[in-house]
Amino acid sequence: MYRGREGQWAWVLHRLSGLAILAYLLVHVISISLFMFGERAYMALHTTYELPIFSLGLIAVTAGVVYHSLNGLRIIVMDFTGMGVLYQRQMFWAVLGLTLLATAYTAFVVISRLLGGHA
Amino acid sequence: MIRARTFTDARQQAHSNAELNWWIFMRISGLILVFLVLGHIYMTFIQVSEADATYIAVVNKLQQPAWKFYDWTILALSLLHGVNGARYSIEDYVRTRPNRAWVKTIFYTISAVIFTLGTIGLFSI
Repeated sequence: MYRGREGQWAWVLHRLSGLAILAYLLVHVISISLFMFGERAYMALHTTYELPIFSLGLIAVTAGVVYHSLNGLRIIVMDFTGMGVLYQRQMFWAVLGLTLLATAYTAFVVISRLLGGHA
Repeated sequence: MIRARTFTDARQQAHSNAELNWWIFMRISGLILVFLVLGHIYMTFIQVSEADATYIAVVNKLQQPAWKFYDWTILALSLLHGVNGARYSIEDYVRTRPNRAWVKTIFYTISAVIFTLGTIGLFSI
């Protein structure tokens, strides 16, 4: 199930998304922690986050987290229920579909806000 | 590499009790983090925008004990979950024993420093 076809793709994507989320989390904690050094230090970095590229980047982070969450649930179903392994392939496509939907919704909300002139 | 398909497989494959406990921890913490992290993303990125996370907004939010607890739970659980996940990758792809030791030492140190930074930050307000 972890070798070949959908099962292996799910596994590779789970690893990649997991490592990417961890990298983001570490940087996110550092940048939020800047508020300890006062308003100027914090805002110096955070005003650059208002550039559209960072909002688009956060759409990618959201996509990664949604995929990792849903595929994590798929793994839990496979591990703890008898039928899970039988349907892992179908569940993988469901995970991909739902991830796409959630990402499209996020992108729609964020991009229309950007086009409205609000970072 | 973790190839266990079921709880029984995991128990048979685990070299130690610790390894089995981590396997269980990944599933339980993952289940909790689904709600915590997706909720966090929804509330701070989709409902409001990045530009709304001003200094005043962050400080006001973190002054409330409930949000402090929420954020610290995410910090602690997701770092444990993420660092253990990265450990699986390091054990799979860093081939020689001395390299593995170095990579792990540096990686754990950085993670511990960032966890401390985040915790001090949260409780300094």
